[in-house]
Amino acid sequence: MYRTALLFVALVVSPCAATRLPAQQPNQPAVPHDSVRGAVKTIDVHARTVEITTGVGYAMRVVRLQVPASAPITDHQKAQADTIGLSALKLGDVVRARFGGHAAPFVAYTIERLGTMTAGVDSIP
Amino acid sequence: MTRATVLLALALGAGCKPPKPGEPLRGLSKAERAQFDSGRAVFDSTFTPATGVGPLFNASGCGECHEDPVSGGVGDEVERHAAVFNPQRIGFVCDQLADKGGPVFQDSVTPALHAALGIDSEPLPPGVTVVAARTTPDVLGFGLLDAVPDSVILSYADPDDSNHDGISGRPNRFVDGRLGRFGRKAFVPTLREFNDGAFPVEVGVTDSSAREENTVTGRPLPPGTDPLPEPELKTRALVLNDAFVRMLAPPAPLKQSSDARHGRELFARVGCTGCHIPVLKTGDNPIAALSHKEVAAYTDLLLHDMGNELADICFGLATPSEFRTEPLMGLRFASHFLHDGRATTPEQAIDFHGGEASRARDLFRALSPADRAALVAFLKTL
Repeated sequence: MYRTALLFVALVVSPCAATRLPAQQPNQPAVPHDSVRGAVKTIDVHARTVEITTGVGYAMRVVRLQVPASAPITDHQKAQADTIGLSALKLGDVVRARFGGHAAPFVAYTIERLGTMTAGVDSIP
Repeated sequence: MTRATVLLALALGAGCKPPKPGEPLRGLSKAERAQFDSGRAVFDSTFTPATGVGPLFNASGCGECHEDPVSGGVGDEVERHAAVFNPQRIGFVCDQLADKGGPVFQDSVTPALHAALGIDSEPLPPGVTVVAARTTPDVLGFGLLDAVPDSVILSYADPDDSNHDGISGRPNRFVDGRLGRFGRKAFVPTLREFNDGAFPVEVGVTDSSAREENTVTGRPLPPGTDPLPEPELKTRALVLNDAFVRMLAPPAPLKQSSDARHGRELFARVGCTGCHIPVLKTGDNPIAALSHKEVAAYTDLLLHDMGNELADICFGLATPSEFRTEPLMGLRFASHFLHDGRATTPEQAIDFHGGEASRARDLFRALSPADRAALVAFLKTL
């Protein structure tokens, strides 16, 4: 009975903990943070790097990110976000990335796929 | 009629007169008018190396290019844009060379950068085969274009030409997926971004929206060539500059002769209005003078295939031969026409139209000389 109750508690609590982890980012290093929204320009799955093209008007730039295996990558194109792998990202995907670091390549904390440039993403949530 | 009545009538008459080029929209509040006036001073500012210009730049201020016949008007400067089109690279067919100094390659450098690198302009990256020339458009009435809801623009899109009229406008998108509308390829989504991005790109002045200096074809600036800390322009100046551009009135069309009125009918009859939509309507806007107004812009703000003869670079989703329908409001101020200024008369510009505009061009060519002259007379009233 006691073991069953423990298992029940563990089952109920563990999904909540898993979903909260990315938001809490307890291990986020004490370095400058930033976020960027733009289109995926290159992906190197083996080196775990992504380049994102972004900018303000014609003042454009490319942000290079190193993506640790622990950095959550999620797909927000559906009502409920799915966790996906780096290899699931495609060129031209519109993503929002949070990252930190003093110089390129910066280290990604989270990457969210919002849609594709071709289909369009209308708002900035 | 009493003297007071005459004065009242004169005052009312003056109020009904459309704004002259360079004047603000009618109906601004006192605070908005004050912002407009202060913003003009920022727009007309001349920057120097001591105040942030460069190290790479095209002009020393907005008003150096957008100057004719007034601040916010056209200019004779032509700048260089470059991008690499990779149609086989699914998903990201257009590399705007953002990591190599693109898409705008500046034609001037400060003495400090010249001394450090011995260059007079930004070199193009290796492998660039197409360079696009871009003339200076006027920005009169751009606040109204900014206030047109996305839904209005998208309502004119017909990417698959489902109505079989040979015209298949489609939207361009910024790299973050939002609908674009500003620039010759309709790449930039909002006027604020168009203005804010212009400071670092055109003047070499960083601002709170774009804090990074241009690189030299992707290479960092040599030490000592950019002595001022970023951002070089305060947010307040950025806001005021945007207010000035946003509240510039569109050029009021001139009074039309009977010929020009006939030309307006021909303009519609030959099919020009398939893309050059005569009037767009704005939506809700925090500035009352921009809210729910009509603007005689003569554009749909969409991309159209204009044929191989005009093709140059890709931009966002725009292929080399796709261009945004150029707004024709203010056309009378231009001395060169089309995105690169290759045409010196409106007739030549029409003659260069191809692709989706071929049918309208051919119908124009088939008009009698008098009718062609009437259509051009109409264009010169815009």
